[in-house]
Parts: sequence; structure tokens; C-alpha cells
Amino acid sequence: MSEAAALPGEHPAHGADPHLAHHFASLDRQVDASRLGMWLFLCTEVLLFAGLFVGYSVYRFSFPAAFAASSQASETWAGTVNTLVLITSSLTVALAIHFVRAGSQRAAVICLFITLFFALAFLGIKAIEYTAHFHEHQLPGHYYRFEGVRLPGAPMYWALYFLMTGLHALHVLIGMSVLGIITWRTAHGYYSPHYYVGIELAGLYWHLVDLIWIFLFPLLYLI
Amino acid sequence: MAAAKEGEQHSALPYILVWVALVVLTATTYVTGHKMHLGTWALPLALAIAVTKSLLVILFFMHLWEQKGVNRIVIATSFVFVALIISLTVADVATRFPLATPAGAPFGTDVPAQLEEPAPEIQPPTGPIGQPPPGTPEPK
Repeated sequence: MSEAAALPGEHPAHGADPHLAHHFASLDRQVDASRLGMWLFLCTEVLLFAGLFVGYSVYRFSFPAAFAASSQASETWAGTVNTLVLITSSLTVALAIHFVRAGSQRAAVICLFITLFFALAFLGIKAIEYTAHFHEHQLPGHYYRFEGVRLPGAPMYWALYFLMTGLHALHVLIGMSVLGIITWRTAHGYYSPHYYVGIELAGLYWHLVDLIWIFLFPLLYLI
Repeated sequence: MAAAKEGEQHSALPYILVWVALVVLTATTYVTGHKMHLGTWALPLALAIAVTKSLLVILFFMHLWEQKGVNRIVIATSFVFVALIISLTVADVATRFPLATPAGAPFGTDVPAQLEEPAPEIQPPTGPIGQPPPGTPEPK
């Protein structure tokens, strides 16, 4: 931003705010543009997962009995606990933004650390679940050997299960990396009640991870 | 936007209330989906609860309630497209000729009788690897 302040013909307001990029007229416009950009990115994420949801819908329609039996045979306790874990982590992210707005950085950092802890817990439970599925041979396609459900279409359920939860777990990892950077920056006083859009956008990404799980949970574990 | 929010007193209470609602809805969907067997109503009920939960997250945790209209249009458009993709694709599969559906699918029982005969089993090739199976005509 220091180079921007040196440019000739600068808007008089520039240079006053270190967060303002030189191609924006005001900080408000810059923040609005960042939010719109993030929402557009989240749309592409929603449509990425939509492809898998379409596959799930088609095969669930084709093999309703196999899908119902397979989702009953999955680790429902783990899915339920993970739903509660992700919902609570969404709350702590929302609280972190609330505390930055209110000017208490310390409380925000604590909230972000709790969020990271919940994210780790989510992946831990997921790992226990995957291990159980591997032991039971609840695996996609050719590797399906589960005795409990012997219906056509059951291997397809597990292919979709691993694709959907795997892509979601990848998003949890990316979200954790983003939240880690944001936690570091918050702890170093980068954000203030005046400027907190970075932590807000990271929060939006994390809420999207929660949002997708809200749909994966009933489809893969309950019905 | 950031400047407009300054001076307003925000309370953490709404977030806690939304979280309580999300936990209650999760417990509801667990009990109705796993403990009770509702048959055909299980899927619509589970999806209705999931949509309610996602609206709570989008409107309050993601602050769409207090943001500009353009952000609402963006996310609403993506959800419209998801609904279109899923409904039109399932409508296609639902109205297909039975032979075009995946093997072993339980629907499409109105197959003509001559099509229901089991296909002849495919014999694995015998003989040493690399040799043409017996009965293959010699290449000229």
C-alpha cells in the first residue's frame, strides 16, 4: 500500500487507510467487492458439489432399497456427532467475527482456536469411520464385500459416499489452512472493528463447509 | 459497510439462539430419520429439515440477513440451478426406457417377456495366455 500512496494523482482519501487498495474509491466499496467475490466463489463450490448430488439422486432413484439399507448400515453415531461438531464450529467462527467487531481480539483468537480444534475432531471421527468401512469391506465397486447388504446398487452407494465425504473432507482441510492463517493474523492485530473483511470471508468459507455437511448428513446416514 | 456497522452494539445472543435451533433440528432429523421409520415421508422430512438448517446458517451465521441484495441474488441463483440440475436429471432417468437404466435397477418391471430371459453366461477364455482361445479362426 505504500507504493500506492506514492502514485501521482491520488484520491485525497488514499494513504489515510493502510487497508485501502488504490483502485477502490473507498474502503466500503472494497469490502463490498470482496464480499461479492466470495459469494460468487461459494456458488462455484455449491455447483461443484451439485454434480455429486445429481449422481446421488440418480442412483438413489434407481436403487432405493440398496441406498436405504446402506445408509442405515453406515456409522450413524459418527455422522450425528460430526454434524454437532461442525455446527458448533460454525458458531465459534461467527462469534470470532462478532468479537473482532466488538474490538476484543483476544476472545476472537480463542474462538478461532476452538474452531480449529473442532475441525480436527471432525477429521478424527471421519478417520475412525473410514477405518470401520475398510474393515467391513463397505467399499466402492469391485472391492465391495459387505455381507450385511447384498443388493444391486450398494457398491454405488459406497462410491458416492467416499466421493462426497472425501471431497468434503478436502474442503475441511482447506478451511483449516485458511482459518489457521486468519488466526495468526488476528493474533498479530491485523484486524480491527474498522476492518475485518478477511476473517469474515474465511468465516463464509467455513460456513459453506458446514452447509454442505448439513445436506450430506441426512442423505448418507439417515434415509 | 464496515464503517456503517461501527457504533452499533451487536449482541452474541442471536448466534447462540441460532446454534440452539440447529442442534434441536439435528436431534429431530436424527430421531425421525434413524429411530422412526416413516417410509415415503422420511426423505421429504429430512430434506425440509436440512433446508431449514441451511437457511439459518446462510441468513444469520453468514450475515446474508444484513447484507446487500446482490449477494442474496448470487446465492439464490446458485440454489435455483442446483434444483434445476437435480430435478431435470431425475426426471430424465424416471422416464427412460427400462433397458437404458442401470443393470439390476428394480424399476422397469414392464419389460417384454423375451427380454427377461437371463443372458448366457460369458465363459472365461481357457488355454495358455497369449494364445487365441480354441475355435478362433486362423488369421489369413
